[in-house]
Amino acid sequence: MKEQTPGFRVSFLKSAVLSNPVLVQMVGLCPAVAAMTNVRSAVLISAVLCLDLIVTCVLASALMKRIPRAVRVALYLGIGLALICPLLYFIETYTLMNLGLSIKVYLPLLAVNAVTALHCEKVAVKNPVRTAFSDAAAVGLGASIVFLIIGTLREVLGSGAFAGIDLDLPISLKGLSLPFGCFILLGFLAAALQAFSPYLRQAQTRETDAQPAQTQPAQTDAQDDLWSDILEAEAVSNERLAALDEFTERLIGGEEDAQ
Amino acid sequence: MPDSATKRTEGAQKPYVTALQLFGDYLLMLLVPTVLAVYYYGTRVLAVAGVSVGVAVLTEAIFSAVLGRSYYLRDLTSLYTGLCIALMLPAGVPFYVPALAAAFAVAAVKMPLGGSGAPIMPAAAGFAFVAVCFRAEVFTYTLRAEQKLLGAQSLGALLGGGNAMRLNAANLLDVLGGNVAGPMGTGCGLLMLACGVYLLMRRPRALLATAGFLGACMLWAAILPRSNGGVLTNIVLELCSGSLLFASIFLVTDHATLPAARLHRVIYGVLCGVLCMAMRRSGVFEEPVCFAIVLGNALRPVLESILPGGERTQRKEARA
Repeated sequence: MKEQTPGFRVSFLKSAVLSNPVLVQMVGLCPAVAAMTNVRSAVLISAVLCLDLIVTCVLASALMKRIPRAVRVALYLGIGLALICPLLYFIETYTLMNLGLSIKVYLPLLAVNAVTALHCEKVAVKNPVRTAFSDAAAVGLGASIVFLIIGTLREVLGSGAFAGIDLDLPISLKGLSLPFGCFILLGFLAAALQAFSPYLRQAQTRETDAQPAQTQPAQTDAQDDLWSDILEAEAVSNERLAALDEFTERLIGGEEDAQ
Repeated sequence: MPDSATKRTEGAQKPYVTALQLFGDYLLMLLVPTVLAVYYYGTRVLAVAGVSVGVAVLTEAIFSAVLGRSYYLRDLTSLYTGLCIALMLPAGVPFYVPALAAAFAVAAVKMPLGGSGAPIMPAAAGFAFVAVCFRAEVFTYTLRAEQKLLGAQSLGALLGGGNAMRLNAANLLDVLGGNVAGPMGTGCGLLMLACGVYLLMRRPRALLATAGFLGACMLWAAILPRSNGGVLTNIVLELCSGSLLFASIFLVTDHATLPAARLHRVIYGVLCGVLCMAMRRSGVFEEPVCFAIVLGNALRPVLESILPGGERTQRKEARA
């Protein structure tokens, strides 16, 4: 299947870097500020966020285009909870990983993260599944990179350790492990991104200009079948919903005429 | 230009003062407690002050170069910030503490928030940062403790333990003169009074905030004493402990963080005083005045908008 959708590089540059969810849109700060004091929690939260984002966005794009917005938003949260709660149970029970209290609090809260709701509503439900997937992956990657940088800096500078290994640093700034330290680090990262954004915008323009000449890489047969099945189901679902809307409009119109 | 912020925030006060005049006055006032600190603690005071001032100036110069701005040493704000921080620390503090406090004050507060017009007092933020990071180093007063009135115990620690001391003619001069363990340049109440008189002659309107601040602290100490001493004893000990008097003269009156209207200045001072005394009573730090001032700075725009004569009140009146 070959279609003119923006490539992952363009999508990555746009969604992960120039409109970074954490540093530019300032969403999803809660777990970063409160729970991300070391590399391990950063990796865990990033992985769960990416998974939640990709699954919810793909489902939203494939199945929820005709569902009213009020119901859709509740469904995003429902999907997130259905995904994350069993995952948390699995991590605790089978991997015997000793999750800290803050992780136990903030990991389930990722299901109601603003990043997921924002990208499902702004991008996924208005675009084909492939675009939704690439946008979700790019956004998840962008947020994860920031989370990893923040987690590493806070652990190294705040606790004098990296991934639990003591680095024997002479000084550790405990303040950076506190929420205000995270806000300061985020501020500096956001400023650095803003300083480089003109060059990145130029790169994005060059990529976008070069895009029509490029062809998308050929999908494998299995992937093609999957995409075509999803799109076919989506088309059928859209037709049914359109017919339902038409019927409802006629019904309302008839009632108004009778009045 | 460094003077623009001064002009902007001092809009109601005519004629405009330049940063050179303003911070020149403050630096002149800071020199006196520095000399007294050298008398009490020796030449190490100069080394701590030198490190703090040097790092503040260097950080600002580097930050300005990175941002492509010109750096003017005659702005004096970085010198003032560095010296303020040094005087609030104990004389025996390791050198990395004033260095980090000064670097934080300039790099994380002053420069990102608009230079000399930063709405958060950089010196207070710098001290608060090192108080969180190096609590033991910042609140340990062991240098020349044998020559002090209570040894290595400060008045703040004394009050924090619910104890008081009987004030008499023999020890009152030590308490008011700063011969008690504590920050190296902030303990002398008599010198702070002299600085207040100088400020009264130079910038009388700034002292409205000081009056509100000290009034609130004294009232709180009288109503909710931390020790079983008399009312007057509690008030004197609270005022002379830590950096309270120093903050009332040097931090609360910062040109960029003061509200413009007179009533707002008094209420801003009261707010900072109440926050400080509340934190002293139930907080974990021996001297939380810098936290109170940073919080007061953050709440100042809200205060200005909701008080009579503020933006919100004016909008309501215009609508009516």
